[in-house]
Amino acid sequence: MAEKLEDFAISKKLTTKSSMLNKVGIVGCGSMGQDIAILVSGKGIEVIFIEKTDEKVKESMKNIADKLDEMINRWGLTSGEKRAILTRISGSTDFKILKGCGLVIEAIMTKGPVTEIVRAKQDVFKKIESAVSATSVIATNSSAIAISELSTVLDHPERAAGIHFLAPAQTVKVIEVTKSLKTSDEAIKIIEKFAKMIGKTIINVHESPGSLSTRLIITLINEACEIFMEGVGWIEDIDEVLKSGYGLQLGPFELADKIGLDKLLVWMDILYSEFGDRKYKASPVIKRLVRSNHLGRSAGEGFYKYIDGKKEGKLL
Amino acid sequence: MKILVLNCGSSSIKYQLFNIESNQVLAKGIAEKIGLKGSFLKYDRYDGDSVKLAGEILDHQTGIEYILGILTSDKHGCIKSLNEIDAVGHRVVHGEEKFNSSVLITSEVIQKMEQCIELAPLHNPPNLKGIYAVKNLLPDILQAGVFDTAFHQTMQKYAFLYALPYSLYEKYRIRKYGFHGTSHRYVSARACEILNVNMKDKNIITCHLGNGSSIAAIKNGKSIDTSMGMTPVEGLIMGTRCGDVDAGALTYIMHKEEIDTTALNTLMNKHSGVLGISGVSSDMRDIEDAAYRKGNERAKLALQMFNYRIKKYIGSYAAAMGGLDILIFTGGIGENGTDIREEICKNLDFMGIEIDTAKNKETAAKEAIISKPKSRVTVLVVPTNEELVIAKDTYEIITKLKKKEKQ
Repeated sequence: MAEKLEDFAISKKLTTKSSMLNKVGIVGCGSMGQDIAILVSGKGIEVIFIEKTDEKVKESMKNIADKLDEMINRWGLTSGEKRAILTRISGSTDFKILKGCGLVIEAIMTKGPVTEIVRAKQDVFKKIESAVSATSVIATNSSAIAISELSTVLDHPERAAGIHFLAPAQTVKVIEVTKSLKTSDEAIKIIEKFAKMIGKTIINVHESPGSLSTRLIITLINEACEIFMEGVGWIEDIDEVLKSGYGLQLGPFELADKIGLDKLLVWMDILYSEFGDRKYKASPVIKRLVRSNHLGRSAGEGFYKYIDGKKEGKLL
Repeated sequence: MKILVLNCGSSSIKYQLFNIESNQVLAKGIAEKIGLKGSFLKYDRYDGDSVKLAGEILDHQTGIEYILGILTSDKHGCIKSLNEIDAVGHRVVHGEEKFNSSVLITSEVIQKMEQCIELAPLHNPPNLKGIYAVKNLLPDILQAGVFDTAFHQTMQKYAFLYALPYSLYEKYRIRKYGFHGTSHRYVSARACEILNVNMKDKNIITCHLGNGSSIAAIKNGKSIDTSMGMTPVEGLIMGTRCGDVDAGALTYIMHKEEIDTTALNTLMNKHSGVLGISGVSSDMRDIEDAAYRKGNERAKLALQMFNYRIKKYIGSYAAAMGGLDILIFTGGIGENGTDIREEICKNLDFMGIEIDTAKNKETAAKEAIISKPKSRVTVLVVPTNEELVIAKDTYEIITKLKKKEKQ
């Protein structure tokens, strides 16, 4: 019989030792899910992602490979590192393969009324819980939906928390972590360990729709739209003054295009329905662009026009 | 006395068990791909017994547990019990200005080493992981740390400072530290042993040429200058590292390519060097093959640049020391790259370097004098043995400590 490395363990304890975060699951592998997969795998952790169909699994894997190629072109990665990252990422349509994951992050993209979005995410939460062990943490990447509401469907709601990654997940140094009323200290400890492993600093946020980042960015973008509609200033000028004057990397309209106007509209609807405050009510400009399918950078058109993801002029 | 030497990298642990009195390596090997898929442990015993075992190695502690397990196993072991190991010596990459020699590892030393992490974020944490792991597994064993930077701590301020605002040195200790110190120290001492000369009145240049390369000027037994700087990216052209480059060009690249410091770091450390120039490989054997046998022009250019940079450093270090007596080649390329050695030494007869081309051609991975008998500068190949230095330093520290305890 072939010799095994385990035969040479000096203590039996060693053979049963396992790292809780040897494997991380991601449900929903759209653009943010892909970024999280690259980030986590890049830190040497195996990633399992779930998508709705086999085609979507293939598409996500292709997009991940394309994103890695883009990183190589931008000098941020070597081809050897790309291969290593890809070997640690696998996708499936079957939730059962999440077994063994110490942490699973829900990152699905859903459109429609708030109640439908909540239902879809809750359905994912239930499916994750049926696949993982009792100690695994289940998290949502959503900052708009309250984790307390999502976790009501779980047998063990104390394992649920919010982990909100901000785009681009690779380079933003912080993650927003939200506890529900029931989130246990053990779950938070696992998230702290995860954050350390992926090199992120935790910003603890008290549960509130929109957390810190989404709530602030929505009001900024809405106000920028107001200024534009009133004719006080033009799109490029508003963007420029905030970039040059306040050191933002992107102006509010560039940022809106990058986030995706459809996604932004969903966030605005959720926050407006939660708080009833007009400052969260989606600007008519955003609604108009979404209706015209001008969804932002990924669609090639938003507030600006884009060719191969690069800004090529204004649309409005 | 048996000393275990550990060299912990980010995802690997190289190890050697020495019987220090007889200078014998009882066993050696490597645990690779730690924390990654496909991890394995390689083990070679002194009598030829060799085994490669695949299995999950989650972290450095697990890796060291397996190393200790195989060293004491009935089937492959070379010692009966862990009690036979008298001490563990660790390679530590960066010792900042805090360490100018090898030390006994105590809680205070660990604390100081932790403070050095900021300057070597890639290298020092895995070195420390090895130290913590041994502390957990063999709590009573003595451990010593041998620093890559320590040998170069003899450099004078005018040699190690960058001409940046002095306040940056005061605030962050921004300066040249140099690396590969253990190797430069070993080969220079060994060469003097071979030549039976006193190191204290010789001017020596040591060329450690491998995937990472550096060169050192050693005057009267002390390092007075070296090519690597605050980080291992400065100096010679390496496998994937650029070596010396105009800092102004770097800020210009950042602007033009719209990249941040992280990407710039990857560009300089992983996309550059002979790989970046040739587009062929970071391995010098592949480059030579492409240049000489396939006529690849960029591979030829990479070789020319690699050799030219070394030649330039030899000239400048000879000037800095006021002459040169001994030139040493070591490291994978230095020990085996016959054409590269010949090319570097070509046209340096004006400064007394005359290589014996036939002798040079037949010398690979062995100690040999490769200069002509009449050459004013003696040129040698000396295979490096950093592990032996670590073992010997550890032995010395432990022996002194034990003597002190007896008194």
